[in-house]
Amino acid sequence: MVLDWVLVYVGEALVLIGAIFDVIAAIGLLRFPNFFVRLHAATIGTIGGAFVPLIGVSIMSLGCGFLGPTRFFVAGGAFVTALLILFLAPAGSHLLARAAHISREAVVYPKVVDHLEEDRGGRHG
Amino acid sequence: MDIETQVHTFITFVIPIFALAFILYIVRALKGPTIPDIVLAIDAMTYDLAAFLALLAIYFESPILIPCAIVLALWVYALDVYVAKYLSAKEMGE
Repeated sequence: MVLDWVLVYVGEALVLIGAIFDVIAAIGLLRFPNFFVRLHAATIGTIGGAFVPLIGVSIMSLGCGFLGPTRFFVAGGAFVTALLILFLAPAGSHLLARAAHISREAVVYPKVVDHLEEDRGGRHG
Repeated sequence: MDIETQVHTFITFVIPIFALAFILYIVRALKGPTIPDIVLAIDAMTYDLAAFLALLAIYFESPILIPCAIVLALWVYALDVYVAKYLSAKEMGE
């Protein structure tokens, strides 16, 4: 059936885009100099590398007739997981960045001005 | 070529790309100089592992892998919350 092929191809395209984003994010996480710069790569890895392929899996499984009734289960579960990741990953990254800044665990190296540090009475500039 | 062989061929082609990304994430998680670095690498790796499990659910035609993906996404968010709480307040909370 034509619709099945369209669903499978769209899903496969999204999964492939997600896998490429995943490798880019992993290389960035490995090569960037410190924690606050690595946050950018981690954001690519969560939204581009997990949300997009999960939507792709959800669309792709709807077209897989050989799965039988299992395909609706896979599609629904993958969609719910994608929504959870879309809402929870930015919240988790923000919590971690705030905690790292408060506890002075990571250096804020390429910076112009740091108002949070000044508000806590730290070193200016 | 029918849909089943096409999907299986595609997934066998995509699995090494995900495996390469997991290896690079694990290298950062083992090297990471500070605790937030380690947690960030584990965080990104586990979200991608959830997507990988959903892909394997199609590959092995078993629906039992999908609840594992949901639980994995929620579990790593709990890891974020607990580590952030510990770093900022030096206690785990009640």
